[in-house]
Amino acid sequence: MIDSIIGSTLLLAVPLVLAALGGAIHRCAGVVNIGLEGQMLVGAFAGIVASSVTGSWLVGLLVGGIGGGLAGFVMSLVITRLSANEIIVGLGFNILALGIVGFTLRAVYGVSGTLRFPDQPRLPRIIIPGLDEVPILGAIVSGKDVLFWFAVLLVPFLAWAFANTRWGIRTRATGVSESATASLGVRTLGLRDIAGTLAGVLAGLGGVSLALGVSGLFNENMIAGRGFVALAAFYFGRSRPLPTALACLLFSFFDALQIRLQTGGGFSADLIQTLPYLAVVVVLAWAGYSGLRRRTRITA
Amino acid sequence: MTFQQTPETGSRTAFVPVAVQYRGIQWTRLGFSVWRIAVPVVIALAMGALALLVGGKNPLEIYNMLVREAFGDWARINATLTAATPLLFTGLAAALAFRAGVFNVGVEGSFAFAGLATAVVGTSVGGLPPVLAVLACLIAGALAGMLVALVPALLRTWLGVDEVVSTLMFNFIVVGLTAWLVQSFFLAPGQANSATAYLAETAELAPLVPPGQLSIGFVIALLLVLGYAAWARHSRLGFEFEAVGKTPRFSVAQGLRVRTVLMISMLASGAIGGLGGAVHALGVVHRFSVGFSASFGFTGIAIALLARFNPIGIVIGAIAFGALAAAGTTVQLFVNIPIQLIDILQGTVMMLAVAQFAIPRLRRRKRATSGTEDLA
Repeated sequence: MIDSIIGSTLLLAVPLVLAALGGAIHRCAGVVNIGLEGQMLVGAFAGIVASSVTGSWLVGLLVGGIGGGLAGFVMSLVITRLSANEIIVGLGFNILALGIVGFTLRAVYGVSGTLRFPDQPRLPRIIIPGLDEVPILGAIVSGKDVLFWFAVLLVPFLAWAFANTRWGIRTRATGVSESATASLGVRTLGLRDIAGTLAGVLAGLGGVSLALGVSGLFNENMIAGRGFVALAAFYFGRSRPLPTALACLLFSFFDALQIRLQTGGGFSADLIQTLPYLAVVVVLAWAGYSGLRRRTRITA
Repeated sequence: MTFQQTPETGSRTAFVPVAVQYRGIQWTRLGFSVWRIAVPVVIALAMGALALLVGGKNPLEIYNMLVREAFGDWARINATLTAATPLLFTGLAAALAFRAGVFNVGVEGSFAFAGLATAVVGTSVGGLPPVLAVLACLIAGALAGMLVALVPALLRTWLGVDEVVSTLMFNFIVVGLTAWLVQSFFLAPGQANSATAYLAETAELAPLVPPGQLSIGFVIALLLVLGYAAWARHSRLGFEFEAVGKTPRFSVAQGLRVRTVLMISMLASGAIGGLGGAVHALGVVHRFSVGFSASFGFTGIAIALLARFNPIGIVIGAIAFGALAAAGTTVQLFVNIPIQLIDILQGTVMMLAVAQFAIPRLRRRKRATSGTEDLA
C-alpha cells in the first residue's frame, strides 16, 4: 500500500518537476510561462513519433526536448521581440499547440485523439539490485527511469547555478529589474530567450516522461492541466528549485492518493484536483498580505 | 491620443488629462488600427494555409468554403450570430476589465459557473410565467459569475495581489467545483455523462427566427455593448475606468476612486461573463454538462484585445470568431479537414493580438534617400 503510493507519487511527479523547474527558470528571468501545457504537449508528441520511427527511446527523448525547446523559443521571441503580454501569448500558444498537434494527428496519422504505435520503445527502468527488495527505500530509488534521475540531479544543480554562475545571477537580475540590468549592459532580451528555451526543453522532457515513461502512447488530452499544476508549483515554491520540486511532490501525492481513493470510494476526485490551484490562491494572498504589512511598517 | 488641460476654473485646478475630441475621421489612427489587426489575421491565415497544404487541401478553396458557410444564406447567418452571442458577452466582459487595467482571465470560469447556476435555477422555476422565469435565471447567472470574480477582486483591491494568476487559477477551481456539484447534487437521473436535467420550458429563450437557434440573447448582448459604449464615453465612472487603466499611480494621486474602480471592474466583468453563461444555457444548450464552455472566455479575451475596448470592434470580432466556429463545424462535415484548423487560426491570432509590429516607415526612408540624392 505505502510502497505503491510512493511509487506512483514519484512516477507522476517527474513530468511535473521537469516542467515546473522550467517554469521556475523562466519566472526567475521575469516571465510567467503560461505555455508550459502546450510545450509539454509538443514534447510528448515529438518524442513519441521520433522514438517509434527510429525505434530508440533515446532519440525520442532528445527530439522531444528539442521540440519543446523550439516551441518555447518561438513563444519567447513573441514575448521579448514583439513586446507582447506573456499571459495572452501563453494562452494563445496553448490553443495553437493543441490545434497543430490535433490537426497533425488527424491529417497525417488519420487518428482522432490517441496515437499508439505497435512496438513503442519505452524509457528503460533502472532497477538497483540490492535495494529493490528493501521495503520503502526500494520504492523510492529502484525501478526509476532516466528522466527521474535527471530531475533529481537537476534540482541541486539549478539551485547551485542560480546562486553561483554568471548566467544564473544575470538571469535573476533580469527578473528583478529588467531596466536596471539592461542599463549595466546585460542583454536581457537574450537572457529571457534562453530562459524561455530552457523552459521549453524541460517542459518538452516532462511531456516525454509522460508519453514514454508513464503511458507508452500519445493522447491529445494527456497533459490534462499538468502544465498549469506546474505553474502552481513554481508559484508555490516561489521559483526556488527545491521548494518547487517539493510542491510538485505534494501535488502528485494528492494525485496518487486520489487515484487510490477513487478505486476505494469516498473522496471526490474533482475536489482534490482543485487543491493545487487553491494552494496558489492562498500563497498569493499570503504574499500580498505580508507585502502589505511590510509596506505599512515602512511608512509608519 | 492627444491631451489638453482642462479649462481654468479657478485656483488649484487639478491637471486632469482630457482627451481632445477631433471632428471627422482620424485617418492615421484608423490606419494604425487596421494595420494592428490585419497583421495577426494575415499571419494566422498563412499558418492555417500551411496546415491545410500539409493535409493535402487547397487553402483558398477551404477559406472560400468557410466564408460561404458562414454568411451564405439566412440560415447560415443565423448560425453564425448564434455562435457569436456568447463571444459578445465574454468579449465585453474582458474589455470592461481591461479598460480599467485589470487583466481578468477568469471570464471562462464565470461563464461556466453561471451556466450551472442557471441550469439549477432553470429546472425549478417551471411554475413561474416565462418572463419571470427567464429573469430569475439571468440574475442567478450574473450573481454566479460575480461570485467567481469576488475572491480575486478582493485580493486585488485590498492586498494588491496580481489578478492574472488568481483569476486563471479560479478557472480550474470552477472546473473541479462544477464537476463535483453536478456529480453529487444535480445529476440528471438516467444520464450516463455528468449533466444536469433540462430546464423548464418556460425558462427557455425562444428563437427569434424559428428554425435557427438565434435567441433574444443576441439582442441583450448588443444592448449591453451599446450601453457600454455610452457609459464609457459619457459617465464619470467610465472616465475614471480609463484614467485608472492608463495611469494608475497618477489616478491615486489625483484622488480618483481607484479601489471602487478595481472592485467594480472585476465584479461587473464577472457578472457580464455570467450573463453570457446564462444566455448560453437558456438559449442553446438548455442544461449544464461538463465542457459547457467551449473556451468562450479565452476567445473573448482575444476579441477584446484585438478590439482594444472599442465597442464596434468587439461586435465585429465576436461575429468573425463566431463565423469561424459555426462554419468550421459544418465544413468539417463535407470536406475531411480537422476542426483543429479553427484552433490554429484562433491561437495564432491570440498570440499575436498583443504583439507590436513596427509599421514600415515609408516616408522617412524616402526622405533619407532623397537626402542622399541631394548630396550626390
